[in-house]
Amino acid sequence: MSDPDEPKPDGGTASQPEGESPELEDHPLEWDEPENNDLAPDERASVSRPAQKDDDPKLVTGQAKYTADYETQFPDLARAAVVRSEILHGYVTDIDASAAEEMDGVHAVLTPWSEGTPDAKYTSAGQSYPEPSPWDMTVLNEHVRYVGDPIAAVAAEDAETARAAAESIEVEYEEAEYVLDPEAAHSEDAPRLFEEDEVENEIVGHDYSRNRMAHIEGEIGDVEDAVAREDVHVHETEWETIRQSHAQIEPHTTLAYTDEDDRHVLVTSTQVPNHTRRQLAHLFDVPIRDVRVSKPRVGGGFGGKQAMVVEPIPLALSIAADRPVLYEATREEEFHAMRSRHPMTVRARTAVTEDGSIEAIDLYALSNTGAYGSHGMTVAGNVGSKPMPLYSKVPNARFEADIVHTNTPQTGAMRGYGAPQGTLALEGHLDEVARDLDLDPVEFRQRHYMEVGDLDEIAGMMGGEGAERRIRSCGLDECIERGKDAIGWDDVEQPDEDHLHRGIGMALSAQGTGVAGDELGAAQLMMNEDGSFHLHVGGVDIGTGADTAFIQIAAEVLGCDEEDIVIKSSDTDVTPFDYGAYASSTTYISGMAVKKAAEDAKERILYWGSKLLEEPESNLDTGDGTVYSEETGASVSLEEIGYEAAYGHDEREHILGKGTHCTEESPPPFAAQFADVTVDEETGEFEVTELVVAVDCGVAINPGMAEGQVEGANHMSYEMAVSEGITFDDEGRSEVRGFDDYDWPTAAETPTIESILVETHEPTGPFGAKSVAEVPTNTVPPALSNAIREAVGVRITEMPITAEKINAALEDDG
Amino acid sequence: MQFSLTVNGDPTSIDAAPEEDLATVLRREGYTGVKCGCDGGVCGASKVLIDGEARMACGTTVGDVDGATIVTIEGLGTQDDLHPIQQAFVDHFAVQCGFCIPGMIVQTKALLEETPDPSEAEARAAIDDNLCRCTGYQKPVEAILDAAERVNGDGAVATDGGTSPASTARGTTEDGGESHE
Ligand code: FES
Ligand code: FES
Repeated sequence: MSDPDEPKPDGGTASQPEGESPELEDHPLEWDEPENNDLAPDERASVSRPAQKDDDPKLVTGQAKYTADYETQFPDLARAAVVRSEILHGYVTDIDASAAEEMDGVHAVLTPWSEGTPDAKYTSAGQSYPEPSPWDMTVLNEHVRYVGDPIAAVAAEDAETARAAAESIEVEYEEAEYVLDPEAAHSEDAPRLFEEDEVENEIVGHDYSRNRMAHIEGEIGDVEDAVAREDVHVHETEWETIRQSHAQIEPHTTLAYTDEDDRHVLVTSTQVPNHTRRQLAHLFDVPIRDVRVSKPRVGGGFGGKQAMVVEPIPLALSIAADRPVLYEATREEEFHAMRSRHPMTVRARTAVTEDGSIEAIDLYALSNTGAYGSHGMTVAGNVGSKPMPLYSKVPNARFEADIVHTNTPQTGAMRGYGAPQGTLALEGHLDEVARDLDLDPVEFRQRHYMEVGDLDEIAGMMGGEGAERRIRSCGLDECIERGKDAIGWDDVEQPDEDHLHRGIGMALSAQGTGVAGDELGAAQLMMNEDGSFHLHVGGVDIGTGADTAFIQIAAEVLGCDEEDIVIKSSDTDVTPFDYGAYASSTTYISGMAVKKAAEDAKERILYWGSKLLEEPESNLDTGDGTVYSEETGASVSLEEIGYEAAYGHDEREHILGKGTHCTEESPPPFAAQFADVTVDEETGEFEVTELVVAVDCGVAINPGMAEGQVEGANHMSYEMAVSEGITFDDEGRSEVRGFDDYDWPTAAETPTIESILVETHEPTGPFGAKSVAEVPTNTVPPALSNAIREAVGVRITEMPITAEKINAALEDDG
Repeated sequence: MQFSLTVNGDPTSIDAAPEEDLATVLRREGYTGVKCGCDGGVCGASKVLIDGEARMACGTTVGDVDGATIVTIEGLGTQDDLHPIQQAFVDHFAVQCGFCIPGMIVQTKALLEETPDPSEAEARAAIDDNLCRCTGYQKPVEAILDAAERVNGDGAVATDGGTSPASTARGTTEDGGESHE
């Protein structure tokens, strides 16, 4: 199915060598922006208004349907349970499932050797085709590589029976040696996780003899040359990040059945319906048209559902059992058998002259991808390609990464997608360098950071996504100014007690918006005779409010009320194609497709308006539910147009609009983060009293929703700074089995988060929008590390920041 | 076995095994506004009012609540006529994916009955076991404080009924911080 030599870069960065880098003239500063895209704030009717979320009435009354809520519609619904590896590494030699098979109420049992178990290789990563992740998994495994690898599965009449049946299955293993530490794994004498023939679609730089699934690198200028210069200081620091769980409150859930036309239908909690459809067609060896993936309300994804994590098992079971099957991951499975953020060690090195000019930046990441390689290369690529371009004025830059397997749970895409790891290293490092050289840390950054008009070559140094780009909007200065004001940067009062010290730290961040050259969104709009509309869009709302943003964009173009648009999104049988909700692309890519579809329909609406008003179309526009003439003031309602078009005498037409959007652009949104901390120098205990984050997201389509995205992202970022994430005992078993073991900040433990939206205008985005939801995920770890350094003079480089670590550093110091 | 429960004002007789958990039973009966986000008793998504007290339905067996009065999210407002707490959550953009929200709203109802005028710290404490991954708790806390005003002010919903997230909570932090020992 795939050409294994040519996985397309996606979901982040490209790291496959891409040939010649683009020419400068490929990125002219001028952008041919349609006039209606650059509306002044007082000209916007729907966009940039905090419109109520379209699905809120359903959500707050408990009427919204998430996947599991469809249970009541299927009387013969069976429930699934999965048998998972209890060893870290080895081979399944025997499975005794006889007890399960004989149990009352059990409808199907599958093992790796069952006829109904798909045996093709695949990756769970929900990325574009061909996937830039290795095909290194099978649905049920003989060769198991972590505690949690699926081995067998059961469908039974209820959840309890399914679980009991799964527990009765006896598995015999031949254990193999395992390795947990990525550094140890990356050596030739480490236990091997993969034999060469166990992987298809291998990724650049793979070397399975030392557990490496990929190696990537890119450079502009000559870093070694710059570092060797006599007039520079060379600084080097090393940073470590946690294994963070997505911890979305709705578990991974799929309901699968085969309909009366023998087509496989999946109602599933996913961010990537179209990728899932394609991947299932591959696994089950059926045509794509015979798979339907439909996404109901989704209870959070954050990248954890940018993967085909649970869908194949219920589908295989439903075929075997000949009835619908619902599979809900348990919370324990969520923590050890779904996905998590790649833990990384990132080394930062710079060459800086005495007067503070950065001559070179060099980042190296060692990424622990766990047992399988999904999103491994692309996430690691983003460690460099997202944060480093912030400093686009630095002449020499290099990024390199090794992505290594260990016998630990699977990692995957997660909000920020590598940028949090890179941002910690870069922003912590630069802060330390500024202090070393006695420079103002803000001014030091300002001297090197992006401005409008810059050609960002660093983003392109690894080719592919984020390839060289022009910066057309940048609100960094304003983000910093407003953030400083809000947190009280210039006036930090120290507490009365001598042992308490207060400090404010800051960090900057940039992300991307969509994947340059590798995105597609599409939308269709149809007009009803009463002047209302149905909007069909492939874009995927996973709880972010995307559907509402789409409606606002369409309403702005059509000049109608938001209530007059009914949206249907993300059902592969009904809605147009879309790559899915990831890479901060939804509003920008799918939103632009919606805008185009609305404009396409508007053209026809104006045609009919012109007929009815007997005025040339060029005089006409839409607004307030009408087509009106700027010349004469005459108007006709959309309802009249709808009836006339549908039931007219001489001519009839169903007014339809379509829009498809892809682009080479990926404009960065920016953020400036501030953290206010008070540290007790006697104990190392600290209290974060406030987080302030200012974000330049271009035009916010819905400011209320955008603020919510910023605050939620910042909370996730705060967790990366102060929580342990998923930890393991000495034998390599996850210590986190439920929410009560996962030590994350609850409501009472979360400081006030103040979000500030800084409006700029991004000419390539719908009505000036770029992305908002990822960039504030990157910034709290460095800002907090910097704040603690400011408060008590010690530097914590290993996340999480704890009182013990501060205390130990203070003791070392003192 | 048959159990008699009053659910959202309706007396019903429900067939269940006594050790079955209330969340599963209520969902089976069609009250799917009761959400399940954990393996039991930790996330708060399944909170319902049991004789006026907010409790996690998943951590309660039907046998234990025979004869009780239960209120689920379905018992508060309807889509056309939201309860003031629901309206406050909408107006403050406190809802993202919405999966935690039924439990959070039910908890808010219980809070406001006990503490009609909570401080920010009290609001945060009340939802400390209502886990939410989407919002950072900032807007839900603002919504709770605003809901208190709406419920106190004779239960009327703000007349604009729409989008006026007056930042009631901002700048009134009493104890938003966290201590890490
Ligand atoms: S499902 Fe009941 S508390 Fe989590
Ligand atoms: S809104 Fe998604 S978990 Fe709270």
